[in-house]
Amino acid sequence: MIDIRGFAKHFGERCALAPLDLRVAPGEVVALVGPNGAGKSTLLRCLAGTLAPSAGTASVAAWDVVKDGVAARRHLGYLPQRLGVPSTTVVADLAALIAAARGVPGRAARACLAEAGLEDRLGATLGELSGGQRQRVLLALATLGGVDALLLDEPSISLDAEGADEVREAIRAARQRGAAVLFASHHLHDVAALADRIVVMVGGRVTALGSLPDLAAAAGVRWSGDREAVDPPIERIYRVLVTRGRETSPLRVVRGSAA
Amino acid sequence: MTGALLRFELAAARRGRTLVLFTGGFAVASLAVALVGLSAGGAVAVQGFARTSVSLLQLVLWVVPLLALLIGAVAGSEAHDLEFVAALPLSRSQLLLARWAAWTIALGAALCVGLGAAGLAIGVFAGAADAVRYLILTGVSLLLLAACLAVGLWLGVAGCTRARAVALAIVVWFVLVIGVDLAAIAALALFPPAQAGWGLSLLLLADPVDSARALGLGLFRADVLAGPTGAALRQVMGGFGAWLLAAGLVAWTVVPLSLASRRFARRTL
Repeated sequence: MIDIRGFAKHFGERCALAPLDLRVAPGEVVALVGPNGAGKSTLLRCLAGTLAPSAGTASVAAWDVVKDGVAARRHLGYLPQRLGVPSTTVVADLAALIAAARGVPGRAARACLAEAGLEDRLGATLGELSGGQRQRVLLALATLGGVDALLLDEPSISLDAEGADEVREAIRAARQRGAAVLFASHHLHDVAALADRIVVMVGGRVTALGSLPDLAAAAGVRWSGDREAVDPPIERIYRVLVTRGRETSPLRVVRGSAA
Repeated sequence: MTGALLRFELAAARRGRTLVLFTGGFAVASLAVALVGLSAGGAVAVQGFARTSVSLLQLVLWVVPLLALLIGAVAGSEAHDLEFVAALPLSRSQLLLARWAAWTIALGAALCVGLGAAGLAIGVFAGAADAVRYLILTGVSLLLLAACLAVGLWLGVAGCTRARAVALAIVVWFVLVIGVDLAAIAALALFPPAQAGWGLSLLLLADPVDSARALGLGLFRADVLAGPTGAALRQVMGGFGAWLLAAGLVAWTVVPLSLASRRFARRTL
């Protein structure tokens, strides 16, 4: 369970994330969508403990991510948008560290990497891997140990079709296991296929939140409800809601109030 | 968990070329200092432990702080490149302490290889007299290394970018190795020696490099070379001076590490 209450982040006078309330239930997948600079990564980084929020609280598996950060992160898997580890790190060393952190045997981490087809790359440094291989390594390690909550920031970035399938499978597996999944993505078809609810963000604010049918209705887009349709209307819904968000939501907010 | 983190950081420290270069370079330089010594008849011979140690001490005092400050600064500035690792159930202090400990172990081992090689050569050719003092000198060098790494790490965390951290490290090295001595000489020129005693003693404690120098020279009864601050400390503190200096070196490790940890805990990764 991820429970966010009034979470906000300011960089000086610039509001990167306006106060936000969101609850992601166990076994639920919530997607964050929005243009660049919408605050999606900021929210995920605050939850992962790599960025301090300016206001509000959030908890993962009932542990406050700020006050009990270490305890909260025991239940959390996080895949950042950028590498987040020195590129000279050897895959096997990183796997050993994460296995120890998650309390699982080292062979489980190696098996996890083998499942992702990377068993022959254990001795390589992250810098020696292709972008897609790196992402698969980090995704496999982020989900290691059956975490209760999974935060993924652009998980399909730089992946080929096969890699993107693996990401979708990882998200489905986490949902099936009962994990709360919150992921940011620009791949709207993935969002339509995977997310139980979608959060549309513009300029640090949530401008729409709901299931795909809810958002379709809000955007005035007619839709049959078939998520696997060849051309689901997610892109039209997204464009309508983002445009509307830009028109109604202030892009610059000072200390939580409109500037 | 802490052990796994330390192994992770040690593996990272071992991978770079810096460690290999330092180990090889320091071993060669130490052996050279040991072997190129007194030669009554003009031939190359080996100095005894005491005289060689005083020469090696100079090498340690110049090279170890520079390298430790630079490596610490780079390691500290690169610590913000740990977003993925920082999202693990680890505190920021653990991340930073593991990094410091790993580099202290790695560079400490390199230092022991260099001083050990020189010590072995001296022992074989000139006998083992003063060997225990030589071992203590190695310990003093390790204390200096740990302190300078901690200061460097603090500079790296506070400096944010690698270039700024490295620049700060070089300035600090210059101040510690030369600046404090210049300040001591200026103080002696301005104040009568009797009045300058306490001030110079504090100046000595405020400089880990000077502290290591005074400790090392004191070991081999070469106090006369310890400079104005060393002489002032002997005058003010007498026999307790050495313990005070050792405690000062430990404080130079603990305080910067605490400051770096506090700073790093608030840092955006």
